[in-house]
Amino acid sequence: MNIFATLGQDIVRLWNDYASMYLNGIWNTLSLAVVCTIVGCLIGLLCGILNTIPYSKNDNIFKRFFLRLVRILIQIYVEIFRGTPMILQAVVIYYGLPYFTNQAVRFHSIWLCAFLVVSINTGAYMAESVRGGIISIDPGQTEGAKAIGMTHWQTMIHVILPQALRNILPQIGNNLIINIKDTSVMSIIGFTEFFAIHKNVAGTTYLYFPSAAIEMIGYLTLTLISSFILRRIEKKMEGSDTYELTQDDMLTLAAGTYRLDKKPEDLVERNLEGGNAK
Amino acid sequence: MSDSILQINHLSKAFGAHVVLKDIDFTVNPGDVISIIGASGSGKSTLLRCINLLETPTHGQILYHGNDVAGSHVNAPEYRSHVGMVFQSFNLFNNMTVLENCMIGQIKVLKKSKAEARESAMKYLEKVGMAPYINAKPRQISGGQKQRVAIARALAMEPEVLLFDEPTSALDPEMVGEVLSVMKQLAKEGMTMLVVTHEMAFARDVSNRVVYMADGVICEEGPSKQIFENPQKQQTRDFLTRFRNN
Repeated sequence: MNIFATLGQDIVRLWNDYASMYLNGIWNTLSLAVVCTIVGCLIGLLCGILNTIPYSKNDNIFKRFFLRLVRILIQIYVEIFRGTPMILQAVVIYYGLPYFTNQAVRFHSIWLCAFLVVSINTGAYMAESVRGGIISIDPGQTEGAKAIGMTHWQTMIHVILPQALRNILPQIGNNLIINIKDTSVMSIIGFTEFFAIHKNVAGTTYLYFPSAAIEMIGYLTLTLISSFILRRIEKKMEGSDTYELTQDDMLTLAAGTYRLDKKPEDLVERNLEGGNAK
Repeated sequence: MSDSILQINHLSKAFGAHVVLKDIDFTVNPGDVISIIGASGSGKSTLLRCINLLETPTHGQILYHGNDVAGSHVNAPEYRSHVGMVFQSFNLFNNMTVLENCMIGQIKVLKKSKAEARESAMKYLEKVGMAPYINAKPRQISGGQKQRVAIARALAMEPEVLLFDEPTSALDPEMVGEVLSVMKQLAKEGMTMLVVTHEMAFARDVSNRVVYMADGVICEEGPSKQIFENPQKQQTRDFLTRFRNN
């Protein structure tokens, strides 16, 4: 019991002294995660749409070449950013750009760099999710839209993406939660998010474990709240299953069935009006 | 022949080495109600899908008021807005209500105002008896009702010709009647229609011309009365007998 009492005391002490730092860290983590998830989703949507523009042999060679090129570039982007650790991407971009450009290009704001790295990382994951979401929609939806004269972009924006988005919402939620946790690697380039605060505080107070406990509780609270909110949004998008009819459907009741009779003689003798009342 | 809506010349379609349509010729005049009958796999649906450019024809011409629409320079969405299509599987937009389904094309393609679109959508929904259901989502209504909404959606674009791709084949028997009676009403009002169907009674009683297809070619074509009562070709006779005996 004694050890828990000490831990409690230490946590309270840390919180009393450094609450504003912790809260500031939480705020930085949360805003980076939320903004980057949204921007990443937009990147993913764009890649998903570009990836699924149909082309046929009848299109001119320039259009075919261009669409091919776009698909290859997106593939390269996805493979690179999905296939390397985000912590390395941050280092490479933050220190690599000044190195290669002889200090000409560098980030004046760590915010901007962190924002860029997490966004394009999320975008790489979302590109694949969006593509999956789009191809999972029944091709009949596209044909229905085409048949009333809608263009590819109109079909995408009004018919396919709203349905695909509903399907990939759990994936977006996943990404938000991953981002809340994984933005902690941004402390490598000196971004003062929640985890960086822990390193600072523990470094000055030597209270490693009590500070880590605060961090654990903090991260868990953030992710629990996020998944709760996301589930609410999902439920809301689903809508209700039943539909109350305002009145009976007269045509269903009146029309009856209208089919070819089985025997040949019936076909000749049959009176049309008998089978079809309206 | 310049007053025909559609004239199809030497149309062929192949999927790889598999030839589905061979040298199809026929004409659709205003007010025609043409039924296309034939066994499964005879190319009926492919023909309809070629006419709406959902499939690209391999060879041949599709003349819409004398202009070939089968080439690559054609604005397919613009052409499709004049040629309505009703699918076997309805293809209503699942993310929209019944009313929105009938409005979206008018707003986005015909550039009508919301109020105009709503008014004309209501007119056609009333015509197919779906006005009480305007706020329902497609998954909340029955198959027959979905198909009636799909017809209203196509009509709301005010097309010159309406293509039906086996509109009742995915329906339970008790729902076939409501869809066919809507189609019969449209035919009576002079709508130009091209119907791929297995409903022989509809083909015989409602359409003025019947096209019998077999193995990717038009085997026999003529007034519906003639095809059903006095078919000229043995193949047609066999098909109709087989159909009646099933």
